[in-house]
Amino acid sequence: MGKQVTEMLKGTLEGIVLAILSGRPAYGYEITAWLREQGFSDIAEGTVYALLVRIEQRGLVDVEKVPSEKGPPRKVYSLNAQGREYLEEFWRTWSFLAERLEQLREGGKHT
Amino acid sequence: MTPGSNEPKSRYLQYLEVVTGSLEEKRRYRQYKARIKRLPENYRTAVEALERYLMHFGPADGAGAMSMYEDLADLFEQSAADGTPIRDIFGEDPVEFVEAFMANYPVGQYRARERNRFTSAIERAAGEDTGRQDRTV
Repeated sequence: MGKQVTEMLKGTLEGIVLAILSGRPAYGYEITAWLREQGFSDIAEGTVYALLVRIEQRGLVDVEKVPSEKGPPRKVYSLNAQGREYLEEFWRTWSFLAERLEQLREGGKHT
Repeated sequence: MTPGSNEPKSRYLQYLEVVTGSLEEKRRYRQYKARIKRLPENYRTAVEALERYLMHFGPADGAGAMSMYEDLADLFEQSAADGTPIRDIFGEDPVEFVEAFMANYPVGQYRARERNRFTSAIERAAGEDTGRQDRTV
Protein backbone atom coordinates (compact mmCIF):
# COMPACT_ATOMS: atom_id res chain seq x y z
CA MET A 1 0.00 0.00 0.00
CA GLY A 2 1.32 3.35 -0.97
CA LYS A 3 1.51 6.77 0.55
CA GLN A 4 -1.76 7.78 -1.09
CA VAL A 5 -3.92 5.34 0.80
CA THR A 6 -2.24 6.37 4.07
CA GLU A 7 -3.11 10.00 3.38
CA MET A 8 -6.72 9.19 2.47
CA LEU A 9 -7.09 6.94 5.47
CA LYS A 10 -6.18 9.78 7.84
CA GLY A 11 -9.45 11.56 7.21
CA THR A 12 -11.62 8.46 7.31
CA LEU A 13 -10.10 6.26 10.00
CA GLU A 14 -12.35 7.74 12.67
CA GLY A 15 -15.47 6.79 10.69
CA ILE A 16 -14.05 3.34 9.94
CA VAL A 17 -13.40 2.64 13.63
CA LEU A 18 -16.85 3.90 14.66
CA ALA A 19 -18.38 1.68 11.97
CA ILE A 20 -16.49 -1.33 13.32
CA LEU A 21 -17.73 -0.53 16.84
CA SER A 22 -21.32 -0.20 15.62
CA GLY A 23 -21.20 -3.93 14.89
CA ARG A 24 -19.97 -4.94 18.33
CA PRO A 25 -17.82 -3.67 21.20
CA ALA A 26 -14.09 -4.26 20.78
CA TYR A 27 -10.73 -3.43 22.34
CA GLY A 28 -7.87 -1.66 20.59
CA TYR A 29 -5.87 -4.70 19.53
CA GLU A 30 -8.95 -6.34 17.95
CA ILE A 31 -9.66 -3.22 15.92
CA THR A 32 -6.09 -3.03 14.59
CA ALA A 33 -6.10 -6.76 13.80
CA TRP A 34 -9.38 -6.42 11.90
CA LEU A 35 -8.07 -3.46 9.89
CA ARG A 36 -4.94 -5.43 8.97
CA GLU A 37 -7.03 -8.41 7.85
CA GLN A 38 -9.01 -6.07 5.61
CA GLY A 39 -5.82 -5.04 3.86
CA PHE A 40 -4.94 -1.87 5.77
CA SER A 41 -1.61 -3.47 6.56
CA ASP A 42 0.30 -0.25 7.28
CA ILE A 43 -1.93 0.85 10.12
CA ALA A 44 -0.02 1.46 13.36
CA GLU A 45 -1.40 0.20 16.65
CA GLY A 46 -0.44 3.53 18.22
CA THR A 47 -2.42 5.51 15.66
CA VAL A 48 -5.53 3.46 16.42
CA TYR A 49 -4.92 3.96 20.14
CA ALA A 50 -4.60 7.74 19.70
CA LEU A 51 -7.89 7.70 17.82
CA LEU A 52 -9.60 5.68 20.56
CA VAL A 53 -8.38 8.18 23.17
CA ARG A 54 -9.86 10.96 21.05
CA ILE A 55 -13.29 9.42 20.50
CA GLU A 56 -13.44 8.60 24.22
CA GLN A 57 -12.63 12.22 25.13
CA ARG A 58 -15.35 13.41 22.76
CA GLY A 59 -17.92 11.10 24.33
CA LEU A 60 -18.65 9.01 21.23
CA VAL A 61 -17.95 5.69 22.95
CA ASP A 62 -18.51 4.07 26.32
CA VAL A 63 -15.53 2.36 27.88
CA GLU A 64 -15.52 -0.66 30.11
CA LYS A 65 -12.42 -2.08 31.77
CA VAL A 66 -12.37 -5.83 31.48
CA PRO A 67 -9.82 -7.91 33.43
CA SER A 68 -7.47 -9.95 31.25
CA GLU A 69 -5.47 -13.06 32.11
CA LYS A 70 -2.22 -11.42 31.03
CA GLY A 71 -1.31 -7.81 31.63
CA PRO A 72 -3.47 -4.85 32.67
CA PRO A 73 -7.28 -4.75 32.28
CA ARG A 74 -8.39 -4.16 28.70
CA LYS A 75 -10.47 -1.17 27.72
CA VAL A 76 -13.47 -2.34 25.72
CA TYR A 77 -15.07 0.36 23.58
CA SER A 78 -18.71 0.43 22.52
CA LEU A 79 -20.55 2.97 20.43
CA ASN A 80 -23.09 5.09 22.37
CA ALA A 81 -26.02 7.21 21.12
CA GLN A 82 -23.81 10.23 20.44
CA GLY A 83 -21.37 8.01 18.54
CA ARG A 84 -24.19 6.57 16.42
CA GLU A 85 -25.32 10.06 15.52
CA TYR A 86 -21.77 10.99 14.60
CA LEU A 87 -21.41 7.85 12.47
CA GLU A 88 -24.60 8.67 10.55
CA GLU A 89 -23.17 12.10 9.79
CA PHE A 90 -19.92 10.47 8.68
CA TRP A 91 -21.80 8.23 6.20
CA ARG A 92 -23.74 11.22 4.82
CA THR A 93 -20.48 13.11 4.30
CA TRP A 94 -18.90 10.05 2.75
CA SER A 95 -21.80 9.59 0.27
CA PHE A 96 -21.55 13.23 -0.72
CA LEU A 97 -17.82 12.96 -1.31
CA ALA A 98 -18.03 9.63 -3.17
CA GLU A 99 -20.81 10.95 -5.41
CA ARG A 100 -18.92 14.11 -6.31
CA LEU A 101 -15.71 12.23 -7.02
CA GLU A 102 -17.59 9.78 -9.23
CA GLN A 103 -19.09 12.70 -11.16
CA LEU A 104 -15.62 14.12 -11.59
CA ARG A 105 -14.34 10.82 -12.93
CA GLU A 106 -17.28 10.38 -15.32
CA GLY A 107 -16.91 13.99 -16.46
CA GLY A 108 -13.23 13.39 -17.14
CA LYS A 109 -14.08 10.44 -19.40
CA HIS A 110 -16.50 12.41 -21.58
CA THR A 111 -14.23 15.36 -22.31
CA MET B 1 -8.91 12.88 39.11
CA THR B 2 -7.70 10.61 41.81
CA PRO B 3 -9.66 10.15 45.02
CA GLY B 4 -8.92 12.68 47.73
CA SER B 5 -8.15 15.48 45.30
CA ASN B 6 -11.36 17.27 46.26
CA GLU B 7 -10.36 17.70 49.87
CA PRO B 8 -9.61 21.30 50.72
CA LYS B 9 -5.89 21.90 50.91
CA SER B 10 -4.30 23.29 54.01
CA ARG B 11 -3.01 26.83 53.75
CA TYR B 12 0.51 25.51 54.19
CA LEU B 13 0.07 23.16 51.23
CA GLN B 14 -1.35 25.99 49.11
CA TYR B 15 1.72 28.12 49.75
CA LEU B 16 4.03 25.21 49.17
CA GLU B 17 2.46 24.45 45.80
CA VAL B 18 2.91 28.04 44.69
CA VAL B 19 6.60 27.45 45.15
CA THR B 20 6.97 23.86 43.97
CA GLY B 21 4.11 23.33 41.51
CA SER B 22 1.25 20.90 42.12
CA LEU B 23 2.23 18.08 44.45
CA GLU B 24 -0.61 15.98 43.07
CA GLU B 25 0.90 16.25 39.60
CA LYS B 26 4.34 15.40 40.91
CA ARG B 27 2.91 12.29 42.55
CA ARG B 28 1.19 11.26 39.31
CA TYR B 29 4.40 11.85 37.37
CA ARG B 30 6.38 9.69 39.79
CA GLN B 31 3.79 6.92 39.43
CA TYR B 32 4.06 7.14 35.66
CA LYS B 33 7.85 6.95 35.83
CA ALA B 34 7.62 3.85 38.00
CA ARG B 35 5.30 2.17 35.49
CA ILE B 36 7.71 2.90 32.64
CA LYS B 37 10.61 1.48 34.64
CA ARG B 38 8.83 -1.87 34.85
CA LEU B 39 8.49 -2.21 31.04
CA PRO B 40 10.77 -4.55 29.04
CA GLU B 41 13.88 -2.74 27.87
CA ASN B 42 12.99 -2.06 24.22
CA TYR B 43 9.55 -0.70 25.15
CA ARG B 44 11.16 1.49 27.79
CA THR B 45 13.67 2.83 25.27
CA ALA B 46 10.83 3.69 22.89
CA VAL B 47 8.83 5.45 25.62
CA GLU B 48 11.85 7.47 26.69
CA ALA B 49 12.35 8.64 23.11
CA LEU B 50 8.66 9.60 22.97
CA GLU B 51 9.00 11.45 26.26
CA ARG B 52 11.83 13.52 24.91
CA TYR B 53 9.74 14.53 21.90
CA LEU B 54 6.73 15.33 24.09
CA MET B 55 8.86 17.47 26.42
CA HIS B 56 9.79 19.63 23.44
CA PHE B 57 6.50 19.80 21.56
CA GLY B 58 3.78 18.53 23.90
CA PRO B 59 1.84 20.23 26.68
CA ALA B 60 4.34 21.81 29.05
CA ASP B 61 2.81 20.78 32.35
CA GLY B 62 -0.45 20.57 34.22
CA ALA B 63 -3.14 17.94 34.55
CA GLY B 64 -3.44 17.61 30.75
CA ALA B 65 0.16 16.53 30.47
CA MET B 66 -0.30 14.03 33.30
CA SER B 67 -3.24 12.29 31.62
CA MET B 68 -1.16 12.20 28.46
CA TYR B 69 1.66 10.35 30.22
CA GLU B 70 -0.80 7.99 31.88
CA ASP B 71 -2.43 7.14 28.54
CA LEU B 72 1.05 6.50 27.18
CA ALA B 73 1.84 4.10 30.01
CA ASP B 74 -1.51 2.30 29.39
CA LEU B 75 -0.62 1.80 25.73
CA PHE B 76 2.85 0.42 26.38
CA GLU B 77 1.86 -1.83 29.28
CA GLN B 78 -0.83 -3.33 27.07
CA SER B 79 1.52 -3.67 24.09
CA ALA B 80 4.19 -5.32 26.23
CA ALA B 81 1.61 -7.76 27.61
CA ASP B 82 0.39 -8.59 24.08
CA GLY B 83 3.95 -8.79 22.76
CA THR B 84 3.13 -6.25 20.04
CA PRO B 85 6.36 -5.52 18.11
CA ILE B 86 7.66 -1.95 18.50
CA ARG B 87 7.33 -1.29 14.78
CA ASP B 88 3.66 -2.33 14.84
CA ILE B 89 2.95 0.24 17.55
CA PHE B 90 4.73 3.10 15.80
CA GLY B 91 4.18 2.23 12.15
CA GLU B 92 6.46 3.37 9.34
CA ASP B 93 6.48 6.97 10.51
CA PRO B 94 6.79 7.40 14.28
CA VAL B 95 6.37 11.18 13.97
CA GLU B 96 2.93 10.72 12.48
CA PHE B 97 1.93 8.59 15.45
CA VAL B 98 3.29 10.94 18.10
CA GLU B 99 1.63 13.96 16.47
CA ALA B 100 -1.74 12.17 16.32
CA PHE B 101 -1.34 11.14 19.95
CA MET B 102 -0.25 14.60 21.14
CA ALA B 103 -3.17 16.33 19.39
CA ASN B 104 -5.51 14.80 21.99
CA TYR B 105 -4.14 16.93 24.81
CA PRO B 106 -4.37 20.66 25.40
CA VAL B 107 -1.49 22.54 23.82
CA GLY B 108 1.20 23.95 26.07
CA GLN B 109 1.05 27.54 27.22
CA TYR B 110 3.71 28.68 24.81
CA ARG B 111 1.97 27.24 21.76
CA ALA B 112 -1.48 28.41 22.95
CA ARG B 113 -0.19 31.97 23.38
CA GLU B 114 1.39 32.02 19.94
CA ARG B 115 -1.73 30.55 18.32
CA ASN B 116 -3.91 33.25 19.87
CA ARG B 117 -1.49 35.95 18.87
CA PHE B 118 -1.38 34.64 15.30
CA THR B 119 -5.21 34.34 15.05
CA SER B 120 -5.74 37.92 16.28
CA ALA B 121 -3.01 39.27 14.00
CA ILE B 122 -4.79 37.75 11.00
CA GLU B 123 -8.13 39.12 12.22
CA ARG B 124 -6.64 42.59 12.36
CA ALA B 125 -4.96 42.20 8.99
CA ALA B 126 -8.29 41.07 7.50
CA GLY B 127 -9.94 44.18 8.94
CA GLU B 128 -12.11 42.14 11.31
CA ASP B 129 -10.82 43.75 14.45
CA THR B 130 -13.46 42.85 17.00
CA GLY B 131 -11.76 44.75 19.76
CA ARG B 132 -10.64 41.47 21.23
CA GLN B 133 -7.42 41.64 23.14
CA ASP B 134 -4.66 39.12 22.66
CA ARG B 135 -5.57 36.41 25.06
CA THR B 136 -2.56 35.39 27.00
CA VAL B 137 -3.31 32.03 28.54
